Amino acid sequence: MQVRLYSRFAGRHRGEFALELSQFLAAITPFNIALALFGVVAGTVVGSIPGLTATMALAVLVPVTFSMEPASALILLGAIYTGAIYGGAYAAILLNTPGTPSAIATTFDGYPMAKRGDGDLAVAIACFASVFGGLVGALSLLLLAPPLSKVALAFGPVEYFWLSIFGLSLIASLSNGNLVKGLTGGAFGMLLSTVGVAEISADIRLTFGSQTMIGGFGVVGALIGLYCIPVLIDLVAVPDRHLKVEENVKSVRIGDAFRLTLRSKFNLIRSSVIGTLVGILPGAGGSVAGLVAYSEAKRTAKPDQNFGEGEPDGIMATESANSATVGGGFIPTLVLGIPGTPPDAIVLGALLVQGVRTGPAMFTQSGSIVYTFIYGLLIATILMLPAGLLIGRYAYKSIVTIPKAVLVPAVGFMTIIGTFSIRNSVSDVIIMLCLGVFGWVVARFGFAASPIVLGLILGPIAEQGFVQGWTIGAATNNLFGMFFGRPISQGILLFTLITLVLPLYLARKKRKAAMEAK
Amino acid sequence: MLRRTILKTAAAIALAANMGNVVGAELAGSVNYIIPFGPGGESDISARFQQPFFKEKFKQDLVISYQPGGGGAVGWASLNGLSGNGQTIMGVNLPHIVIKPAQKDVGFTTADLNTFYMFHYTPDAIVVTADSPYQTLDDLIADAKANPGEVTMSGSGKASANHLAQIKFDKLAGILTTYVPFKGTGAAVTALLGKQTKAEWGYTTVGAKQGDAVRMLAVAMDERHPLFPDVPTFKELGYDMTGGAYRGIALPNTADAATTRMWSDMIGEINSDEAFRQQMLDGGFAMLDVGIDDMADFMAARVEEYLDDARKAGLIK
Amino acid sequence: MSNSSVTRSSGQLGSLIISALFVLAGVITLYDTLGYTDRDSQVFPQTVAIILIICASISFVTRFLNPIDEGGFGRGSWWRRILLIVTMFITCFAMPVVGFLPAGVIAFAGGLIAAMHDRWSISNILVYWGSGAVVMIAFYTLFKFVLHVPLP
Repeated sequence: MQVRLYSRFAGRHRGEFALELSQFLAAITPFNIALALFGVVAGTVVGSIPGLTATMALAVLVPVTFSMEPASALILLGAIYTGAIYGGAYAAILLNTPGTPSAIATTFDGYPMAKRGDGDLAVAIACFASVFGGLVGALSLLLLAPPLSKVALAFGPVEYFWLSIFGLSLIASLSNGNLVKGLTGGAFGMLLSTVGVAEISADIRLTFGSQTMIGGFGVVGALIGLYCIPVLIDLVAVPDRHLKVEENVKSVRIGDAFRLTLRSKFNLIRSSVIGTLVGILPGAGGSVAGLVAYSEAKRTAKPDQNFGEGEPDGIMATESANSATVGGGFIPTLVLGIPGTPPDAIVLGALLVQGVRTGPAMFTQSGSIVYTFIYGLLIATILMLPAGLLIGRYAYKSIVTIPKAVLVPAVGFMTIIGTFSIRNSVSDVIIMLCLGVFGWVVARFGFAASPIVLGLILGPIAEQGFVQGWTIGAATNNLFGMFFGRPISQGILLFTLITLVLPLYLARKKRKAAMEAK
Repeated sequence: MLRRTILKTAAAIALAANMGNVVGAELAGSVNYIIPFGPGGESDISARFQQPFFKEKFKQDLVISYQPGGGGAVGWASLNGLSGNGQTIMGVNLPHIVIKPAQKDVGFTTADLNTFYMFHYTPDAIVVTADSPYQTLDDLIADAKANPGEVTMSGSGKASANHLAQIKFDKLAGILTTYVPFKGTGAAVTALLGKQTKAEWGYTTVGAKQGDAVRMLAVAMDERHPLFPDVPTFKELGYDMTGGAYRGIALPNTADAATTRMWSDMIGEINSDEAFRQQMLDGGFAMLDVGIDDMADFMAARVEEYLDDARKAGLIK
Repeated sequence: MSNSSVTRSSGQLGSLIISALFVLAGVITLYDTLGYTDRDSQVFPQTVAIILIICASISFVTRFLNPIDEGGFGRGSWWRRILLIVTMFITCFAMPVVGFLPAGVIAFAGGLIAAMHDRWSISNILVYWGSGAVVMIAFYTLFKFVLHVPLP
């Protein structure tokens, strides 16, 4: 089955099983496996440090790869990328700070789990889910890349607009009963996203003449500020331990994690598919994939599941989806020559320098390099299982055992150096700190950080989609059809409505039942 | 190599004459090459092409880092605060560095930037999908004349090279098209391939990258691009339009004359390498060799041209 | 609890003030958008600002009409919180002057003292400061020399 699908995909290599085998064998040389392992480990470490992004690590490593075989170089870069997306979960679970934007939704349930003493379980679940999602993404890349790349093209401005609205509908379920406060936060976050030079229009907005604000609020810096600084402020104020530790807990909880993950196979499959599809969209990325998958997992939750209060399925949804975006993101990168995310763009640049022609001609002209790379990505994802579990255990143990008096300043130092290095700018650090204090204060009065972050991330997607859709619709005198007449838009709109209305309906039904019982 | 030795000697003499100045016109380790955009754009790709040649010729690493924000403004506003010892350089782009400061106070002016070399440009081009009904530029113009405003054209950003080209061409051809701004060339090309818009204002690099999937109707060059001998220039078709987005490199303005000259010569040396030129041309770029000596004239001409275009387009006052 | 004590509780007052600030942010945005030259840059901020004003106003009014003692800064010592944040800010301002590592020490020391709830002893002073130095130097080396971040 695999061979058949694969050869259809490869086109030129129809039936040439020997060639496929040779590409696979080329991928599993000891050197390449060592590179993949190193890449995954380095990536995991990079991803777990807030502010240190996969983009940065890859940018630094590109010159190193000039002296390597193109395929080996690509395997190294792909492994780092995969590892970094998984590594983001550590900080999300143990410090409530997404190490990468992809891990935002991991904080929703990961941190509550860690707080109640299940941090090791959460880290292990994140690892299983990431490997599963990563495999789904990489296999989609291997088997279905050309047809799936059509998804990237079918998504026009209006579809992006509705996708962002769908993401924003998550605010309703995140704001725990106080919808108005959630919406306030979301709207405020969207305003923050407009500060600075406008991406697609010719204005500089909301800077009030200040030059420090021209660059606007960077997502990574804002994440560190809004999530990490409040945790630190709360940590120093009281003498309690950071995370609860069960004294007589079994030493290994990998088995538990595996059983829990296995039980939620539908969630895993659905989230991985969402992750792959969203990953294919060049304008979206891992953060949106994680949020969409989380939203869907929450919508279909069983009555005994408490999303937002430490529900393992929440971590599984996010982590499988964001890892699936790695393979998914390479689909438009390799098939269309259009990078989905900044790390994809760097890999694309490295390919160009290596003399590999990207774009439509790539699969036919440079097929062997591309397939060796995809096999390498698969191997790296599998290696992430042992490496991730091992590093995860170590990370959990060190966060739990380090005394608070060292943990707080170490994390504080990390936030400063991490934020600085995003754009080599001190003012970014100051903005991060101000946002952090602001976020802490407003959270104390019911305006949680997550709606603000959702607004900040989805705001630009909504704005650009809307402006472009409106421009095209007005030019063709078909505004209504533009926004409501396209099938994909209608589908997303339908899901949005279900997500918004279903909880209200269920709550009413429950109340009615309770009344009747009385 | 010999030229470089002479250069170094000359620099050393200049240094000796300039007593007390500890800054030498010699590289002292790896160089930080800042791209004031995210990765994947034309600025990044061309810098990546330079990277191995730099290492080979001058034995030092060229470390590329990204400092996106404000359409490049964040990087350029910070450039003159960086050390001028020659270990830090930054990519600069035209028309960005002219239009941005003309619109509002963005923390730098065009004259502030110590641009020492402009090494290539990406000529403007109108791109359509391979199965587009527009076979020639005339087809597009005819459609735009018959249905004013209904021909939608994607492009990267507003008040950008693409946008200025669209406005200019609309005037020259006497047509009205609708410009749809996207975030970067990649997104604009995606919109074109997905048939969200009927055409794209892009660069010759788009044609090189997308190959058979797209067709270019015309390019804004004096002569045809060697990679696309079948694509006519606007001039051939009767529209006086040449230009595109120009890219170069700047040093902080604290760098002394010797350092600036050394850099201009080094980038010039890479630019004259046949292998490098070929790689750039294959990528759809067009080469440009404006070193430190010709920079003032080149910049003055470009500034005048861009400001004039932008003023006519109503983008600046 | 009597009604007046609720209306004057810090949770109630703070919530009202923050809702009012969000309304203000919306108004300022609307004012700022008047100066834009491009219609495309106005649409989105204006729409969002109006949503913000409406939501924050509803939040303000409902809270004003139904005062509850919810929210507030909770227990915990203020000097520790302030020390942590202030030292981090000082680090930012000192960084360009004294360099990254010495400035980082300020934030680290502030955080350490703020988070130190146990009794100081010779051994933990040595261990904590020692590990602090190791952490900082390790990160500094990683960023500056491995990742080539130009730290001041």
